[in-house]
Amino acid sequence: MSKEYVLKEVEFWDGAMASSQALRQAEVDIMAAYPITPSTPIIQNYADYLSNGYVDGEYIRTESEHAAMSACVAASAAGARVTTATSSQGFALMIEVLYQASGMRLPVVLNVANRALAAPLNVNGDHSDLYLGRDAGWINLCTFNQQEVYDMTLMSFKIGEHKNVRLPVMVHQDGFICSHTAQNVAPLQDDVARKFVGDFEAVDSLLDFARPVTYGAQTEEDWHFEHKAKQHKAIMDSINVIEDTFEEFEKLTGRKYNAVESYMMEDAEIAIVALGTTIESSIEAARQLREEGIKVGIVAPRVFRPFPYDKIADALKNVKAIGILDRSSPGGALGMLFNEVTAAIYTNDTKPVINNYIYGLGGRDTTIADLKQIAKEIQANADAGKLTTPVQQFSGLRGPKLSFFDMESSK
Amino acid sequence: MANVGWDEVNDAALLNPFENSMQDLVNTAQSDRDYSLFSSFSASTASWRVVKPIYNSDVCIHCQNCWVYCPDSAILSEEKKMQGIDYDHCKGCGICADVCPTNPKSLIMYEEATVEDSALASWPEKKKKEKKA
Amino acid sequence: MSKIIKNLKQFSTANERLEGAHLLCPGCAHSIIVRELVNCTDHNLVIANATGCMEVCTAVYPYTAWDTSWIHIGFENAATSAGAIAETYKVLERKGRLNKNAENTKVLAIGGDGATYDIGFQFLSGAVERGHDFTYVCLDNEVYANTGGQRSSSTPVGASTTTTPAGSQSIGNKTTKKDMIGIMAAHGAPYVAQVAPNKWKDMIMKFQKALEINGPTFVNAMSACTTEWRFPSHQTITVSDLATDSLAFPLYEIENGVYTINYRPKNIVPIKDYLAIQGRFKHLFKPGNEHIIEEWQKRVDKKWVQLQKMEEMTNS
Ligand code: SF4
Ligand code: SF4
Repeated sequence: MSKEYVLKEVEFWDGAMASSQALRQAEVDIMAAYPITPSTPIIQNYADYLSNGYVDGEYIRTESEHAAMSACVAASAAGARVTTATSSQGFALMIEVLYQASGMRLPVVLNVANRALAAPLNVNGDHSDLYLGRDAGWINLCTFNQQEVYDMTLMSFKIGEHKNVRLPVMVHQDGFICSHTAQNVAPLQDDVARKFVGDFEAVDSLLDFARPVTYGAQTEEDWHFEHKAKQHKAIMDSINVIEDTFEEFEKLTGRKYNAVESYMMEDAEIAIVALGTTIESSIEAARQLREEGIKVGIVAPRVFRPFPYDKIADALKNVKAIGILDRSSPGGALGMLFNEVTAAIYTNDTKPVINNYIYGLGGRDTTIADLKQIAKEIQANADAGKLTTPVQQFSGLRGPKLSFFDMESSK
Repeated sequence: MANVGWDEVNDAALLNPFENSMQDLVNTAQSDRDYSLFSSFSASTASWRVVKPIYNSDVCIHCQNCWVYCPDSAILSEEKKMQGIDYDHCKGCGICADVCPTNPKSLIMYEEATVEDSALASWPEKKKKEKKA
Repeated sequence: MSKIIKNLKQFSTANERLEGAHLLCPGCAHSIIVRELVNCTDHNLVIANATGCMEVCTAVYPYTAWDTSWIHIGFENAATSAGAIAETYKVLERKGRLNKNAENTKVLAIGGDGATYDIGFQFLSGAVERGHDFTYVCLDNEVYANTGGQRSSSTPVGASTTTTPAGSQSIGNKTTKKDMIGIMAAHGAPYVAQVAPNKWKDMIMKFQKALEINGPTFVNAMSACTTEWRFPSHQTITVSDLATDSLAFPLYEIENGVYTINYRPKNIVPIKDYLAIQGRFKHLFKPGNEHIIEEWQKRVDKKWVQLQKMEEMTNS
């Protein structure tokens, strides 16, 4: 039995602490992890709780992230509540096993402190790792500040373990900007949090010998498609459980979450779509711009997988122009968020002008001024009713302006 | 196993070899187990065979060499007695015949089409020990 | 609850835990070994199987050949999986959440030499170093048989494989077999052994010991491969006899650093007799390649002397 950890009504936590505390309250049975910046403090904090009796579990100190996720999958199949945390290269090393976790329908929880991918090597935040895992069949929850990290991490267990879901869940936070900076976080007390998350119920456990089970069978061309389709249906349908869980959490805490978050969208003429801590900066930029008469709103997918296609379309149905911001090197395409959001609004009657910004790579600071500049360009597109800039532009980059697809001048 | 649609396949492609709850597996003989259609026990590799072992119980000393060395769990053994071949699972490798110590052998490999009775009727005689040179 | 098995008749009363109609080649030694492994004990078993012939042939949807809990995750991580399951067992037991029917459970990892000597080497090293309570059994057929006979770091000198084919300019594989048993012993694993399926009594004695001993234990099982070693399917046990009697695969164990040789052939067979029966070594018998066989014999002799010295030294 673990000791109770008395928490203040409001704690001053960095994102890593917010997630560690949630993991502790979820009474994780097994953490299997390998340290990597900037996710490291998450597992160190957990080790500390373990060493001092604040959680009853085992920490498997694996020799790599691949092994960490492998251990998570096996332990989960054996009936444990399991978790790990990683970033960047470690996330890349886990990729093979991410697909195993989702294919075997195991509710592993993975905290990702988002960080750029080498080369060149970089330890700071961008969304390259988030993008890398997008087709792995995991539920992806995005957070924009430390409070949300805590809330989403708690909810991730409840969502993933729900009998109608049974899928692994990632909770993303921006490396360093969120993981290593502190803000006020209002946590639940241990008993309340535990009650909310609930007990772990093992399903098809390897340690149930009344019903021996084979995990990880091979399915070839006559079976594979059906299995993958069923898995896809499960993650598509998980949105219902996610939204129910958000609702239940709101009743408990008063904090309301949505599959797609909208800020100042009621009267917005233009919108910024982004992920991560950029949302908080964008909200501040929007407040300032509104004083100048620019009616900008912000839309952000809270649930990135399953992708809330319909809700994105709905959130953006009244704006004239949209700027979609991608914090990942697109490697020869338009940004992924641009592509997915654009596809979602294609069937709207309004045909907003849409452009794409690549920004903030490798932890490059994105200032309020940068975001205001972006909003002004979006406003110009709205006013002109057509693109006044190339489709894809790099923001915050030194050197000559870098952009692609200048549709006007190529006419 | 019928090729059912996506809505009917097992979640996560999991396979349970038994129909119902299995208590005390190690003390339950195969004949008393409630195998499901997902156990390979329910499947057959008989079509793999080109040759098959034929068993002659008259010569057998029930040493169980064939049982321990059969790679396909195809030697039927009960209460320390060899019972014959499980032709659903035998692949015809010939190991059992190789390791059978009797003279003549109690297991001999024949063409798959061979009729058991005729093989037994013309079972080889005991071989004389070759004199050492 | 290892059972006492005095003789084969008694062993044959075991109720099967690996079903037939798996898809391994006729005459495959893998399933002989694994049958003896899962049938030599009354413990509940959870098996983590690495990618390889054993895995790919025993769980092809919609059929499983396993009557006990089994998981395959990847090529490299069977040891990690087994370790994690052992830790889970510990936690659930402590927290009072272990199923009653899960008492007396042992955790096993099974992998081929590809999974063990090569791609999963780091994972195995990590899991053994961390000291999880599990037994790793390597089905060592000295080749990546599942992908079509490519060499591994367990492939011996002179073997013709699909990535080291013998030819006018090549004698086949040029490197000597990695000493996995020595490496595992150097990790401080409490029990490390080598077995061969033809010596069933020795093999199950070692499996039982490995399962009973607390902590990570490692057993390297010689597994003659009819397809890649190229011998007729009925000769699996004959080839295995030649392997143990020529001392190509000496049978020994290392328990807490103490060596014991478990089998001393009455008549040691020349290594060339072991090589001659296998297609993968056919080219070694061409004129001009005699030295390879001679060197091989020397290596085997030297290893045998070494083993005897280690036995003497560690028992004194
Ligand atoms: S090996 Fe031969 S003698 Fe021994 S049990 Fe089998 S058939 Fe009978
Ligand atoms: S021929 Fe092979 S598979 Fe068939 S019973 Fe004999 S040993 Fe088993």
